[in-house]
Amino acid sequence: MKDPYLKKLTDIPMEDYLVGGHVACQGCSASLGLRLTLKVLGKDTIVINGSGCMTLLPVYPTTPLRVPWIHLAIENSGAAGTALYYALRRKNIDANILAYAGDGATYDIGLQSLSGAAEKNIDMIYICYNNQSFGNTGHQRASSTPRASSTSTTPLGKVEVAKDMPAIMAAHRIPYVATACPSYPIDFLNKVKKAAEVKGMAFIDLLVPCPVGWGFDPAEGINIGRLAVRTGLWKLYEITDGKVSISYIPKKRKRVSEYLSAQGRFSHLSEGDIRRIQAEVDQEWDELEERGYGYEIMV
Amino acid sequence: MNTRRMITGNGAAAWGARLARVEIIPNFPITPQTAIIEEISLWIASGKMDADFLPMESEHSVQSALAAASSVGTRVFSATSSQGLMLMTEMMFVTSGLRLPVIMVNVSRGLSAPITLWSDHNDVLVQRDSGWLQIFCSNNQEVLDSVVMGYKIAENSNVLLPMLINLDGFTLSATREPVEIPGQDEIDDFLPAYNPKHTILDPKEPMSMGGVVFNEYMYFRSQQRMAMCNSKDIITAVCAEWEKMTGRGWGRGLVEPYCLEDSERVLVICGSESAILKYTVDKLRAKGEKVGMLRLRTMRPFPCEEIVDALSDVEKIGVIDQDISPGSGGIIATEVKACLGRGVTSFIAGLGGRRIGAEKYEKIFGRLGRDVEEWIF
Repeated sequence: MKDPYLKKLTDIPMEDYLVGGHVACQGCSASLGLRLTLKVLGKDTIVINGSGCMTLLPVYPTTPLRVPWIHLAIENSGAAGTALYYALRRKNIDANILAYAGDGATYDIGLQSLSGAAEKNIDMIYICYNNQSFGNTGHQRASSTPRASSTSTTPLGKVEVAKDMPAIMAAHRIPYVATACPSYPIDFLNKVKKAAEVKGMAFIDLLVPCPVGWGFDPAEGINIGRLAVRTGLWKLYEITDGKVSISYIPKKRKRVSEYLSAQGRFSHLSEGDIRRIQAEVDQEWDELEERGYGYEIMV
Repeated sequence: MNTRRMITGNGAAAWGARLARVEIIPNFPITPQTAIIEEISLWIASGKMDADFLPMESEHSVQSALAAASSVGTRVFSATSSQGLMLMTEMMFVTSGLRLPVIMVNVSRGLSAPITLWSDHNDVLVQRDSGWLQIFCSNNQEVLDSVVMGYKIAENSNVLLPMLINLDGFTLSATREPVEIPGQDEIDDFLPAYNPKHTILDPKEPMSMGGVVFNEYMYFRSQQRMAMCNSKDIITAVCAEWEKMTGRGWGRGLVEPYCLEDSERVLVICGSESAILKYTVDKLRAKGEKVGMLRLRTMRPFPCEEIVDALSDVEKIGVIDQDISPGSGGIIATEVKACLGRGVTSFIAGLGGRRIGAEKYEKIFGRLGRDVEEWIF
């Protein structure tokens, strides 16, 4: 196997293109995710933002961004990426196109526009910073919200399971799809590097624990992300050419109760609810083990 | 070199875009606009036009793509109609707020429900507060001319606003008329390449666009309003330059007066219906009746001073509205009244393409002088 781009934390480039002084919440993993991404993509990058938490980074007359940034609306990052791709070619500007949009802007209102860009296989990197809700408006239900999570519009807990967005993107036959979490920066940034290198559209679903919406101490953001992965609830994987491969297999999975009980959004769950969630996760990972942590999802 | 061809209004719009050397054309089909983008796709495929044709997944995406591509500094064009224009509404305000000189043609068509394919002006007038310049064309030649002139007006650093150019569905869009097509060299001299200084998405010069403002919001809106005011002089100047080159100045760019000198009764109108109204004016004048017409060419900026200049001495004024704001009345009549500070007779006619015709215009001329709203079925 080819050596990964980054092996240890000190390999991460020092240069920052998202600098301090912005108004994102304490413990925000979404801004961390963007900061890390820009370290890898570098200065020749143009960011498209779909309305959401990150839209509050540039507040007139200041901006914490040292790369070009455009925000148009919530539901059109795919369309904007398509247009930028062609317009930049016309202007002979060689730059990475990065769309950085939330899960509400991606799974829900922006799905049509994203699908249009994916169908055209536009050479861009689309990172969905996924806090599993409409976070910026105060944690409302989205199709990305996991079952059982309470939100400000599902006070009794969401009934339906979250949409399988990576599979939807893979079904567009784009060359690279991955999931990640900033709590695993080496894994995440190696995926960003791959996303930048593939010709065509790359999609990364990035789990970003949200202290305000999820209800945990801002100091715990990285730990919550780690727990999401170590309990097996958030799987880290890649999909290339229709083949899913798990990129991180937790050695000994932690109990989901450790993750769920650390967050206000799951505080209404009964012991029985938690047992059911544990059983589902166990079954899913047993199946993954049987399949050697890799399988084809398309012919 | 100029050529003269029989082309449709849609063909004229496509020719305008081709002559203006537009670079990016995001698009989505909708009747009766579709022939514009079909023609352009054919020219690109056959190498007659050097541009990127982007078939988008919705009109919302079309307007988003127009804004994004214009932010990089490319010259962009698209066309839409009716429901498509409605779907763009959110992004119409974004494009003008970002001060992007996008040119878009609307082939007007009545709004659903119930569904109609035929023309009226409610679609375009819904966008009247969106900060776009609005031009209403009366014939196919004016469509071509307006698209080319549009870029010169919109890209002027004292304007930097998008422009919506309206042509009436089927009446113009599908009807062939003789149109003079200017030579490319002539247009290249008239319209230099677009080189923006205010919006450039280039890593060499990083800027954040479309960010959040708090207290300053009102200043941005004030600048947009100022740009709209500035555009009047620019429109007039560009039309004068165009007239020098082609012999066609389209009035003073803002309004087209017809037989107003000694008129006692005048109808205010916009769009292609003005042709039939002119015919009616000629007919009545031949009988010695002192009637006239004022065609509004720009709807935004609204030509208030020009209306007052043209109509202050006219006793009886009527306004033809091919639109209706239920609960208020004819949209244009309301604005004309506000300019004049007195009542006019408001005629609601031609909704969903319902035929008006010269005989009805004759009757309408006989019904002026009352401050009422009358529906002409």
